Amino acid sequence: MDGSEPALRFDHASLAYGRVRVVEEVDGVVRPGESVALIGPNGAGKSTLLRAVLGLVAVVGGRIEVLGRTPARARRDVAYIPQADTLDAEFPVTAGQVVLMGRYREVGWLRRPGARDRGIAAEALDAVGLADRAGDRFGTLSGGQRQRVLLARAIAQRPRLLLLDEPFNGVDAVSQDALLAALAKLRADGAAVVVSTHDLALAHLACDEVCLLNRHQVAFGPTEDILTPELLRAAYGGQALITDGAVVAH
Amino acid sequence: MSLLVEPFASPFMARALAVALLLGVVGGVVSVFVVLRRLAFVSDTLTHTVFPGVVVGFLVAGTNGIVWGALAFAVLSVVLLTVLSTHARITEDASLAILLTGFFSVGVILVSRRPSYTADLTAFLFGRILTVDMRQIVVTAILGAVALLTLAALRKELVFRAFDPAGAAARGYPVVALDLALNLVVALVVVAAVRAVGTVLVIALLVVPGAAARLLSDRLAAIVVLAAAIGALGGWLGLAASYQASIEHGLRLASGATVVLALVALYGVAAAVGTVRSSARRRGRVTP
Amino acid sequence: MRRRAPYAAALLLAGALAAGCGSAVGGTDATDESGDAVRVVATTPVVADFVRNVGGDRVTVTQILKPGVDPHDYEPSPVDVKALADADLVIESGVGLEAWLDDTVQAAGYSGEVVDSSKGINVRQGEGEEAEAGGDPHVWHDPRNAKGMVAGIAAALGGQDPADKATYDRNAMAYSAKLDALDAANQAKIHSIPPGQRKLVTNHDAFGYYCDRYGITFVGSVIPSFDSSAELSGRELSDLVARIRSTGVKAVFSEASLPAKTAETVAQQAGVEVVSGEDALFADGLGPEGSPGATYLQAEQHNTDTIVRALGGRV
Repeated sequence: MDGSEPALRFDHASLAYGRVRVVEEVDGVVRPGESVALIGPNGAGKSTLLRAVLGLVAVVGGRIEVLGRTPARARRDVAYIPQADTLDAEFPVTAGQVVLMGRYREVGWLRRPGARDRGIAAEALDAVGLADRAGDRFGTLSGGQRQRVLLARAIAQRPRLLLLDEPFNGVDAVSQDALLAALAKLRADGAAVVVSTHDLALAHLACDEVCLLNRHQVAFGPTEDILTPELLRAAYGGQALITDGAVVAH
Repeated sequence: MSLLVEPFASPFMARALAVALLLGVVGGVVSVFVVLRRLAFVSDTLTHTVFPGVVVGFLVAGTNGIVWGALAFAVLSVVLLTVLSTHARITEDASLAILLTGFFSVGVILVSRRPSYTADLTAFLFGRILTVDMRQIVVTAILGAVALLTLAALRKELVFRAFDPAGAAARGYPVVALDLALNLVVALVVVAAVRAVGTVLVIALLVVPGAAARLLSDRLAAIVVLAAAIGALGGWLGLAASYQASIEHGLRLASGATVVLALVALYGVAAAVGTVRSSARRRGRVTP
Repeated sequence: MRRRAPYAAALLLAGALAAGCGSAVGGTDATDESGDAVRVVATTPVVADFVRNVGGDRVTVTQILKPGVDPHDYEPSPVDVKALADADLVIESGVGLEAWLDDTVQAAGYSGEVVDSSKGINVRQGEGEEAEAGGDPHVWHDPRNAKGMVAGIAAALGGQDPADKATYDRNAMAYSAKLDALDAANQAKIHSIPPGQRKLVTNHDAFGYYCDRYGITFVGSVIPSFDSSAELSGRELSDLVARIRSTGVKAVFSEASLPAKTAETVAQQAGVEVVSGEDALFADGLGPEGSPGATYLQAEQHNTDTIVRALGGRV
């Protein structure tokens, strides 16, 4: 149980909804402190793969191991960060209360969060640079700020693996930097990160490895090796554009 | 002010007020969750599916049997509803409508077999708040207490699930069980209210206070307290109005219905206040 | 935060319950001072009319059911419950007509006697539908039963207010004489209908006692029950139409407190006259002031005259 055990291991994993296979043969390893970008066109199965890591989708072939355990058993130590715009902006909660939600599982049923929990939540919100917005209603923050609040909620959980579902969509530059800084700190502390994204530049910037997915795994390896025009074209079905040396994908 | 106090000197009005206040507070608190989770149609369905239980209970054991019949059908319909919404291939709207009309018709058929059919029907649908006795008040209080205690125990999980269902599932919370629990709480309010205000009017108690409170505050804790207060106030004002109309002006205004109208009027006030609040905020002034 | 609301509610509730548990109001002592009028609550217009005639100025009558209101499924309003709470004596028609009265009397806290004015009267069971187990409540359409009701009311008033007993008895006797006159007049008028035409079809089964008293054949009613709200089946309707045709009944009679629609349909299908509107019969109660059925005597005379005329007799 030392630091060299992978945070996440895909062993020829195939996923299905009922009897329909939706993702085939994902194979690869994410070590503590590493980050992986999950890249592929819409409908490729990126969200499904993330949900499988959470134990919410059936693994019908191969295996997924999270922190050395089955996905369901590892949930305590895995944090999922949804896209902020999937949440109701009118909901009467403050940013601080959203972050505190990250402590609920720890607190357990029937008990109330204590001073220690509130302290952890406050620190987490500070780590994304929004300590001054704790009392503001979640919906009054900008899209990028809301995404940061959701990351803070995850940080409050003190997870060893983070799963982010397209966190940089429509996020302003300031928030993007804040998110990247917080993620870097988490990685430095030993957490592993999986980010599903379309943004290749960010993948280059922030991720050690890339998993290219289009219902089956096209490739899994170090970022520079994987983000090549040929592999991208294979993943995106011939719809990748290459301009000025930078690869832009649909 | 005496207009609001004088009616309740008579014992029967005082008992009606006790029930109305109880239901107002309990319904008010529950209605916050109904509004947050957008469960108004689900709640409406529950009022209709509980109805045949009311009739069966009445046929088997008279007026005192109503609560038990309602409770049995409440549990049954909550289970059916939750199962349907998890597995149904047709849209949730459609499955709710089918449940609602099917169950309700069974109830109507059952009650139409009786010679006193219209009297019974109106009693079940609109309640008989003026003739509640102490026993019924106690039953209402117990059911209401169970509902509130359940909400209090599960409140942080219910709020988390309401705000971020995907996040809650990801944390391993049993979302289906939580939904079942909330639906049961709603059903309990319907059962608690059936004798006093009837199954048709209870939907007002389950929606209006929460909706009105939401217009007045952005903080969940305040919304809950406001909703309870609005629910209780609606009961008080509605009963007083029905009494004054009847005694002073010889006007028959059904008491359950006046409570509902009072709630709607309070919603109107809340909407007006809410508009003033938001335009003040837009002008840049700080509102607490 | 959530803690505060339950406490506030508990306080409010405790206050309301304290008021509600207070001593019951109403149902005063058995004897009344001869100075004050007896406060009587009468349920139906017919009972109220009898009480007014027997009691005169010795009673103040509160009538719960207003003219034209269906007594079978009434929902009491606050003023009704309050009247019951303040009553010295409550008098009902009886035979299950006022099913809603028990709960209301209890809620009002009236602890006195609820006088059943139909006590001692022979109740007919009627045919067909099961209806109320207690039988047909429309006893007053036979003037002899009305006399029984009046006697019962006089006895109750005398018991409540012994000082004026003689007055009540005197008033009751005078009114009973009028009831005898009504009975004789009815007999004569109905006798003028050709024997083969003495057949009655009404809106609901409210005239059983009337038919029994005066030898009229009751062919059927549009609503086959003592209660005015039973659901009709298509089969029952067509059976009725067939019976009307086969027995040669001349008219279908609708009633003042029920919608005439179905009666009109039946009459049309059977090809006979429908008597409705101004001429509708007073079956469940009386008419408003100024109508031909404002008092019992007027209403019963109106009923007889209307029936006799429609069936070919002379009034």
